[in-house]
Parts: sequence; structure tokens; C-alpha cells
Amino acid sequence: MTKAYSRFLTAFFCVFLGGLLVWHVLLPDREKSETENRTLAQAPEFSWTALVDGSYTKKVETYFADQFPLRDSWTGLKARAEQLIGKSEFNGVYLCGDTLISKVETPAEGMVNKNLSYVDRLAGKTDANVVLGLIPSAAEVWKEKLPAGAESWDQTELLAQSSVDFQSTLSAHADEPIFYRTDHHWTTLGAFYGANALLEVLGKETLKENNFAPEAASDNFNGTLYSQSGIHWLEPDTMEFWVAEQGLTVTSWRTGMEEPASLYDRTYLEKKDKYSSFLGGNQPLCVIKNENVTDGSKLLLVRDSYSDALAPFLAQRFSEVHLLDLRYYRAPVSAYAAENGIGDIAVVYSVQNFISDVNLVLLTQ
Amino acid sequence: MIFSSLTFLFAYLPLTLAVYFLAPLRWRNLVLLLVSLFFYGWGEPVYIVIMFASILIDYIHGLLVEKYRENDKKARWFVAQSVIFNLLLLGFFKYWDFLAANLSLLPGVQIPQFGIPLPIGISFFTFQTMSYTIDVYRRDAPVQRNIVDFGAFVTMFPQLIAGPIVKYKTVAEDLNHRVNTTEDFALGARRFCVGLAKKVLLANSIGALWDAQLASQSVGELTVIGGWLGLFAFGFQIYFDFSGYSDMAIGLGQIFGFRFNENFDYPYLSASVTEFWRRWHMSLTSWFREYLYIPLGGNRGGTVKTLRNILIVWFCTGFWHGASWNFILWGLYFAGWLILEKYVLRGVLEKTPAWVKHFYTIIVVFVGWGIFAMEDLSVCGAYLANCFGGAPLWSALDGYRLRSYAVTFLALILASTTLGKTVWYRLPEKLRNVLTPVLMALSLVVCTAYLVDGSYNPFLYFRF
Repeated sequence: MTKAYSRFLTAFFCVFLGGLLVWHVLLPDREKSETENRTLAQAPEFSWTALVDGSYTKKVETYFADQFPLRDSWTGLKARAEQLIGKSEFNGVYLCGDTLISKVETPAEGMVNKNLSYVDRLAGKTDANVVLGLIPSAAEVWKEKLPAGAESWDQTELLAQSSVDFQSTLSAHADEPIFYRTDHHWTTLGAFYGANALLEVLGKETLKENNFAPEAASDNFNGTLYSQSGIHWLEPDTMEFWVAEQGLTVTSWRTGMEEPASLYDRTYLEKKDKYSSFLGGNQPLCVIKNENVTDGSKLLLVRDSYSDALAPFLAQRFSEVHLLDLRYYRAPVSAYAAENGIGDIAVVYSVQNFISDVNLVLLTQ
Repeated sequence: MIFSSLTFLFAYLPLTLAVYFLAPLRWRNLVLLLVSLFFYGWGEPVYIVIMFASILIDYIHGLLVEKYRENDKKARWFVAQSVIFNLLLLGFFKYWDFLAANLSLLPGVQIPQFGIPLPIGISFFTFQTMSYTIDVYRRDAPVQRNIVDFGAFVTMFPQLIAGPIVKYKTVAEDLNHRVNTTEDFALGARRFCVGLAKKVLLANSIGALWDAQLASQSVGELTVIGGWLGLFAFGFQIYFDFSGYSDMAIGLGQIFGFRFNENFDYPYLSASVTEFWRRWHMSLTSWFREYLYIPLGGNRGGTVKTLRNILIVWFCTGFWHGASWNFILWGLYFAGWLILEKYVLRGVLEKTPAWVKHFYTIIVVFVGWGIFAMEDLSVCGAYLANCFGGAPLWSALDGYRLRSYAVTFLALILASTTLGKTVWYRLPEKLRNVLTPVLMALSLVVCTAYLVDGSYNPFLYFRF
């Protein structure tokens, strides 16, 4: 090795390591990552106690990784490299052609039966009619799209417990875009089919597709699976709003206080988290009133985020649809139903959330 | 701190290099000592105290051995003290709970367990410092009178937490008279990039498959093919993890002007178990040979004594890897095969075709990895039973995993042979000079991408 060549390699090595360090130091820290849809770790505060118990150095490591220059490009590069060597699973997400499908992990033992029993106990505590609706995940409905032999927890047995047969309804339309390709939620079309399955069980007249005029809300939606997988090269999803806002009054209780809201919060369409434009995303309690339905029927949806897209359809057949999220709403559900004169309670969860949620125990209060 | 982390690569290392090479020559050991203490303290702030104690005690014992050199009885006593101190240190932190738990199984015995976390690298640095006093006594190495220089040897961060085990005599000369050249730096940097890629791209990648197979076993879905897939995954993981770590250590050592001995020599090319152990973790086997097997009498005391010595050494080798029965069993498993090869199979193997010998060695070694990897012996037994026919032959899931890891496996197999090296040195020098920085950049860039993504990146030696 000549001296000049040694110097070149040495300089190259040092510039790569040192250059990224300088870049990291000069780069202003970001509050959150739009791509990953999460807040990023900030520089930790030093304290001797934190140093001694080792938590300080751990926080520095997290901070250093979270604020690393070009973070999104690195994660994208890793996904590309993995694809190149023949992988089809990316951080728990399967790449199936142009579609991302989330792998469903085997639930903790006893979890499923526990959550099912909580729903039963709610039925025993209230005079309202209680139905359970379990929404199969894309990994179940689009099973044949998964890479051959790829594992995902078998949902069939659990879905048989659901009083609303979302599974058959969605499977019948499996060749349509009923789930987003880059997000784990169902699309507005999927929610429409789901709404009819639920309305049928509740004895209501089903909805007709041609009564709606879909509005293209966004053609640039990169969902949660886009973030989780690091696969950034797929065509973004399009998002539609079907139900018109006229005649519907939406009220939110985000901070414990009643405040007017809207069926669609269009400010989210400018952000990464576009799915939250349905009803403005997660909140403890939300009520949609339809002045055109005058029979006074009231439906309580105990729900996860899948219901954000579902509720606008249900509001077509009920005077009031109440959406209650157990992750944020802590008062007893049966009491809420009694106080508000609720006739039907639908516990509607996606399978993925139902088998992992620890808040369903609140149903038994 | 571990080498395959963003904080090491892009904060600790550039800063350390800057401080080290800006410091005047005579201060460099002090710099090395300080940055190494920082390196150790990063993951184990409290255990820096152990480092100080270890430096001080072994330093003093070295001086005492030298001082009483004429009085052999006294000199031996000081060697013994140093050895006992190091073994007590190791014994307390690493083996106390294991011994307490097992002795408490005896009726009427009740020994408390402390549950103290194991100081990282303790098995490596206690062995290194032990070798120092012994070498001084044997006149294999000069005594070190400067405590800073000695401290730099004990704590030297490139090999501190995962080896190779560097004997004092190997680096005694470099410690006080090393020359730092840019050629050493360049070669060291190149070696470091190779090691990094082995660890991050090969070992971590295939390690995820082993975890998946182990999970399949726990839900009763492991097949015969799946079982072997898992054993191969683990065997490749530990080889590329460990040898990658050694490459990084040797490379970093060279950057700082130290020459460490090689630790691996293509072990999976071995044609016998005996050969495997001449090529695997060589710094450990040579340590045991030099400081345990030969002092016990080696193979010069007749068959019975030789057998005894082999069993002792391999019991210790196994136990060194972790305070758990499976590691002891793993050591004795190899003792069994080595004895078998020494006394029974030698003649047979000589007449066996090469491919059969390679096949036999690979099977023995990878089944050994099964014992090594599964601490719970009942899990281990069930897993190995599955491998040998106690399960359906294969499942669709195996097919999926095999497809997912086919390229990785191919890379692992090729990287386990000397093929890459042979092809590399057949290339014209000019081409190599162009390719070297390209490959180094590729290794750094792709590894960074994997590390930023927060992918699976375990530290396998927390039990050592």
C-alpha cells in the first residue's frame, strides 16, 4: 500500500464517520417525524442519578438514532436492501405486490377469551341490544395475496364469535379496494360494505351505493404501513369521502368539554396522518346527530379507529350515533347507555386491536 | 457501548480518533485509558470501579512478582494471589447465583442469590489480567512499572467486551514502543468495515431466523427441516457475530498501533472436530492450553491423566461461556468428541473421503450450537429431538422462510469459505485499489441504514 493510498483510505474513513457526526450536531433537532408518524426523542437532560442507573446513556442512544441525519432515507434504503435479498416481510409488514399487509401476531394466551367474556358481561348489565362486530384484518380477507407460506395468526375461529359477519361481507368484495394498500384501515368502500353488514344485524334498511357521490379527498395518502415497513416506493393511496355533511351535526368531547366538530377534518389532508380526517381522529367521545332521521333511534359504538370511517354511514339510519373509545373514555359503558337512552350497542373492533386491547375490561363496569 | 451502534460509529469513534491522534505520543496511553474507561462506563457506569480495582491489584501483583523473583516461593504466592483475586471476581459476579441456586437444591442448604447484573466483558478482562502476572512470573513478559500503561492494556476498548483475549506478552512491545502509521490506519479501517458488515448484515440478519424457529418450537410447530434451519441460522449467527466483532477489534487495534492475534480461521471448513477447535475462538483455546491444560500436565502423564486434563479443560471452556448447565454440557459434549477423535476415530477419519469428514464435522458442531443456544435443557432436548425426526418433515412456513433467507444463506456459506479471499487476491492490484473504498463505503452506508432502522441488533456475549 503506497503512502498516498493509505492516506486516501484513512481520510475517507474519517470523513465518513466525522462528517456524519458534524452533520448530526449542526442539524436542528426535529420534534416529530411525519413519515413515521411519531414524536422523536429529544436530547436528554443530564443528571447523576440517571447516569448511575444507566438510563441517561440509553436515552442518548435513542436520541442519537432518532435525530440521525437523513433518517427517512436510511430506513428506506434498508427496506430496498431487504427487498433486494428476497425478503417479503418488513418490520412486521408483508409486501404483496403493490400492497402492504400487516402481519397479525399470535395474541397473548387467554387474551381473546377474556375480551370476548367482557362483551358478554356488558350484555348482562344493560337493557340495550348488544352486538359484537369483529372486522377481519387485510391479512385474513386478502390471505391469498400474502407470500406463500407466510405466517399470520389465523382469525377464522375468532371471527366465528362475531355477531356481525364482516368476514363474509368483505370476502365477497375481496377483489375491490376495501383496504388501503399502505395503511391498515379499511377504505371508505370497505367501511360502506361493513356498515351494511352491521345495519342488517341491527334490523335497519341497508344503504345503496348509488345514493352516494364519492368525493376524492386525497390521492396522496401514505398510511401507517408505509411508515412501519420503510417501503416508500409504492403508489400512494387515494382516499374518498362518501357521506355528505349536510344534515349531520357532530359534537366532540376531546377535553371533557362539549365542542362542535365536523364529519371530516380537512386539515388532516394536508398532513401525513390523513385517515384522521374522518371525525378528526381519536377522541374519547363523539356524537353524530342526523336531523333527517326522526325516529329517535340511538346507536352506541364502542370502537377503535376503524369506526371513524364506518360511523358516517351508520348515521344515515340512526338519529344519533355515539362513538365511545375505551382507551380514553373511563366511565361505565352501561351507565352511559342508560343515561342517553341508547337502544343498540355495537362493540366494533378490528381483530388486530381486539386481540391486544387491554381496555375492554372497562365494559364490565 | 457496542461497535455496531450509531453512537459508537458516529460519535465515540471519530472523537476518540481525533483526541488520540492529536495527543503527543507520550500521552497516547493515557488517552487510550481514559477513552476506554468512558467506553466501559457508557454501558456500565457503576462497574468502572471493578476496572480500577482490577488495574490496581494486578499492577501491584506484577510488581511484587518481579520484586520477589529471587524468592520463588513468595513470587508464586503473589501469582496465586492475583489468580485468586481474578477468579473470585469472576466467581462472584458470574457464578455466584448459579452455584447458590444449585447448592440450595441440597437438603438443608440455603444460600442467598444476589441477582447482580454481570459486568460486561468480565470473562475477557479477568483472563487477560491473569495472564499478565503469570507471564511476568514465567519471564514471558516484562513487568509494567507504569500504571497508566498497564491500565491502558487492561481497559483497551477495542477488545474489552468481546475479545479476542489479548495476552499481555502479545502487546507488551506495542504498549510502549508502537509506531502509528497511516498504512496501519488504512488496513485497520478496512478490517473494521469487513467486521461491521459481518456483524450487522450477516449475523443480525440470520439471527432473526433463529429467533423465529425458536418461537415455532415453543408453539409446537417446529418441523425437522425447520429445526435444522434454526440450528444453521444460529451457528452462522454466532460465527459471523463473533468473528465480525473480532475483525472490528483487530482492525481498531491496528488503527491505534496494536497487533492482536487472529481469533478465527475459517472454522466451518474444518474436517474434524479437533481441527474446528484449532480454528474457532483461537485466543480462548490457546489461553486454556497455555494456562490450564499444559500446567495440568497436558498429554504427558499417560492416558488417564490426559483424559482427566481434557475433561477439566473442556468443562472450564464450557463454563466460561456462561453460568448455566447447558454451557457445561456443551463443553463436555466437545470433550467427548475430541477424546473420540483422539483415541478411536483418528484411524477411521484418515481413510474417510474429505466430504464425509466435512459433513460429519458440520453436523457435530451445529448440534453443539443447539446445546449452546438453549439454556433450558428441556427445551433443548425437545428441539433436538424434533431435528432428528420427532416432528413432521416440513411445513409451508419453512418454505417461506427458506425463500426469504435463501440469499442470506448463500452469502453466509460463501463468506464461511476462503473463496472471497482467493478471488480478491486474484484481482489486479489496480482494480483492488478502486474496489476497496467502494466496498468500504458500501459496508458503512448499508450498515448505517440497518442501524438507523433500529433493526434487530443483539449483543450475544452478555453471558460471557
